[in-house]
Amino acid sequence: MDWQAVVLSLRLALATTVILLVIAIPLAGWLSFTRARWTVLVEAVVALPLVLPPTVLGYYVLVSLGGNSAIGRWWEDLTGRTLAFSFTGLLIASVLYSLPFAVQPLLAAFAGVDRRLLEASSVLGRSGLATLLRVVLPLSKAGLATAAVLTFAHTVGEFGVVLMVGGNIPGQTRTISISVYDSVQSFDYATAGRTSLLLLAFSLVVLTLTYALQRGRGPQVGAAWARR
Amino acid sequence: MGPPVSAHDQGVPLLDAHVRRHVVDAHLVLPSEGGQVTALFGPSGAGKTTVLRVLAGLERTSGHVRFDGRTWDDGRTFVPSRHRRLGYLFQDAALFPHLDVDANVAYGLAGLPRPERPARVAEALVAAGATHLAGRRVPELSGGEAQRVALARALAPRPGLLLLDEPLSALDTPTRVRLRAELRRVLTAQRVPTVLVTHDRAEALALADRVVVLIDGRVHQVGSPQEVFERPADAAVAAVVGVETAVPGRVGPSHDGLTALSVAGRTLHAVHDSDLPAGTEVLVCVRAEDVALHLPDGAPQGSPRNRLPGRVTALLDEGPLVRVELDCGFALFAYVTRQSAAELALGIGHEVVAAVKSPAVHLVVRGLPEGSRAI
Amino acid sequence: MTSRRSLALILALAFVLTGCGGTSAGGTAQREVRIAAASDLKFALEELQPLLDAQHPGVVMRTTYGSSGTFLQQLSNGAPFDVFLSADLAFPQQLADAGLAPQTDVFPYAVGRLVLWTPEGSEVDPARGLGVLTDPGVRRIAIANPQHAPYGRAAVAALRSNVLYDQVQSKLVLGESVSQAAEFVQSGSADAGIVAMSLVLSDPLQDQGRWAEVPLTDFPELLQGGVVLERAQDPAAARAVRDTLLSEPGRALLRRYGFFLPDSDR
Repeated sequence: MDWQAVVLSLRLALATTVILLVIAIPLAGWLSFTRARWTVLVEAVVALPLVLPPTVLGYYVLVSLGGNSAIGRWWEDLTGRTLAFSFTGLLIASVLYSLPFAVQPLLAAFAGVDRRLLEASSVLGRSGLATLLRVVLPLSKAGLATAAVLTFAHTVGEFGVVLMVGGNIPGQTRTISISVYDSVQSFDYATAGRTSLLLLAFSLVVLTLTYALQRGRGPQVGAAWARR
Repeated sequence: MGPPVSAHDQGVPLLDAHVRRHVVDAHLVLPSEGGQVTALFGPSGAGKTTVLRVLAGLERTSGHVRFDGRTWDDGRTFVPSRHRRLGYLFQDAALFPHLDVDANVAYGLAGLPRPERPARVAEALVAAGATHLAGRRVPELSGGEAQRVALARALAPRPGLLLLDEPLSALDTPTRVRLRAELRRVLTAQRVPTVLVTHDRAEALALADRVVVLIDGRVHQVGSPQEVFERPADAAVAAVVGVETAVPGRVGPSHDGLTALSVAGRTLHAVHDSDLPAGTEVLVCVRAEDVALHLPDGAPQGSPRNRLPGRVTALLDEGPLVRVELDCGFALFAYVTRQSAAELALGIGHEVVAAVKSPAVHLVVRGLPEGSRAI
Repeated sequence: MTSRRSLALILALAFVLTGCGGTSAGGTAQREVRIAAASDLKFALEELQPLLDAQHPGVVMRTTYGSSGTFLQQLSNGAPFDVFLSADLAFPQQLADAGLAPQTDVFPYAVGRLVLWTPEGSEVDPARGLGVLTDPGVRRIAIANPQHAPYGRAAVAALRSNVLYDQVQSKLVLGESVSQAAEFVQSGSADAGIVAMSLVLSDPLQDQGRWAEVPLTDFPELLQGGVVLERAQDPAAARAVRDTLLSEPGRALLRRYGFFLPDSDR
């Protein structure tokens, strides 16, 4: 078992999840509660990774972060290392790749929050961000948990993007999915089988957890209470 | 159509709002004498809530909203709700379900230094009569209790303007009646300028110092509750408010379920199911349909306990009915059929006796006497 | 407020996690050399480490295997490797021409050989030559992708020189690298394949199926070359690896895997 790859995958997934939640919460908040017309465009862009082949996404990430790009060169000047083929580059690609998995459960959860609670918060002196953090989020715990779990699991399962952007560098970008691929290439089916089984069991646990979370919470507390 | 409000006192009015949004085109002015409760009264769909929401900054208007010298909303500027120092009460309280009562009440106190907050929360709970609810969780509260907490939450930041959106409509009748009197007491004590939206006649009568009748998005009449309910400005208003005699009175002694009322020197008897303390200020309401007229020398027998001699001061033809205004020491209105009016040969200045059954005398509590317990 | 505190905690966690960008390269005791190697070297290179330990103690190879063309792309885009061992000479040359490696550091190290390989239990006999591929029983033929794998290019050349290409083209299944092509054959997904000899001589694949060498005259010489890259973090260690590969024990190792050597007789 390639434990280095397992640890790397877990680190990548954890870091992606944390960063993505920080990005996705305000983004989902804006999409849910703004009156701007062009939210449909933003929603479409957010959903792109759902329909784009991972290699296409990987290609664009590579082009924008690679050694020949402005960002890539800036990074190299700054840190002396490349952005592509590094953990950081992979992290950026993962964040983009899993974006809809974080945003969409949050959107669903936010939609269940009684709008009048937001108005009450506003009249009582709170800004939009404060309302998001103090009212909407606490009432969207199930959605938040789902977003976190799905993002984590989705990142662990990445392959195409990792291949394009990561370069299969042991310890840095050889994730668990690449490791399986490698094992098969080396005709080491035993290792490939073990690693794959681990991933399968993990995915099953994750999905079960997600469904349990959604079922356990039931309808959103805010909306249900308003009917009293 | 109908005249815009013209209650201009000396100087600048406290609130000057021209609300133009959707079907609403209404001009609303609140005078600067403090602490008045203005009711926006009208049937559902009249746009009352829209007006309230525009005042709150939850919706915009193409007209203007100016409060206490500041422009909140006009074509160019817009002050968002959170900078307007408002209190807003929703129909169903809209308490934050994940916070307990104290946290709800303290929610609007971000501008207050932390050490001062508990005291202010306690003060607000006392004002709303909700001290016994401190520390409770929101899902445990009944509808009436939730509204008390919501009121405390709205009052805690000491708002400059209080907006109530049908605050009692979601409650069951006994709770509603009980809370109505309480609300009147609280509003009187707080002396915060208040705009109240309601379609409930009794609510408007009980709570308001001024009534603005809003029908189909237009202001039709503005005046005291008595004015509006006794003398509707036009047919539309009359249809909405119903013609009623609505006179101030004071509760006297009760006996056998019958409460004596002192109205303009006369005594009326009403049936009231709970005991009101003597001295309670009430509005005495009698529907014109419930007033029967006799000639003075006619038979005094029959069941109605209230017999009020008076003189006819006005007659108005309304199709099959005639609206008769009497002076019984106070203005009393009666509806009689045209035939009856002819048979009695009613004319201005004639003496008649009005008979009103006790169950037809409705009381709306306006103020409890000093030192009495809350209902 | 609690929400603000949680937010701060989350951000701190994020910084910590991203801050450590993978394993630190090269401790003080070990000198790591990151190698991008053509996949036909998979098993041969593994046996180089003991030789390396003997000749240059402390130098450790960290090897990633793949298709040479893919590596060229990645290296051109700044992939962090120290040594590139390609399946041809042209790719390393291109890197040198692009200024990513000194011209003097491009070196040939082996000559690759092709075999026709059929899986275990197959009735197709590779000893009959490439013509056997036209058999109706052969429905899928695995080769490396000629677009970026030198072994794939050589396979196509061999097919063309035997005037077979047009006939069998529709049956070709392209592997991302020559080892993936071999994997297709070994798993039985393909009925036959044209792959590197070094792979069929390796331990996992030795006694599986049957193979016969494709005559060297059928395709342009697969002169395999390597280069030490300009950006090597420890150039001395990188050259140590190169030197070991080119040393006598190194050449003997390559020969064991069927490779011919650049300057010796075939």
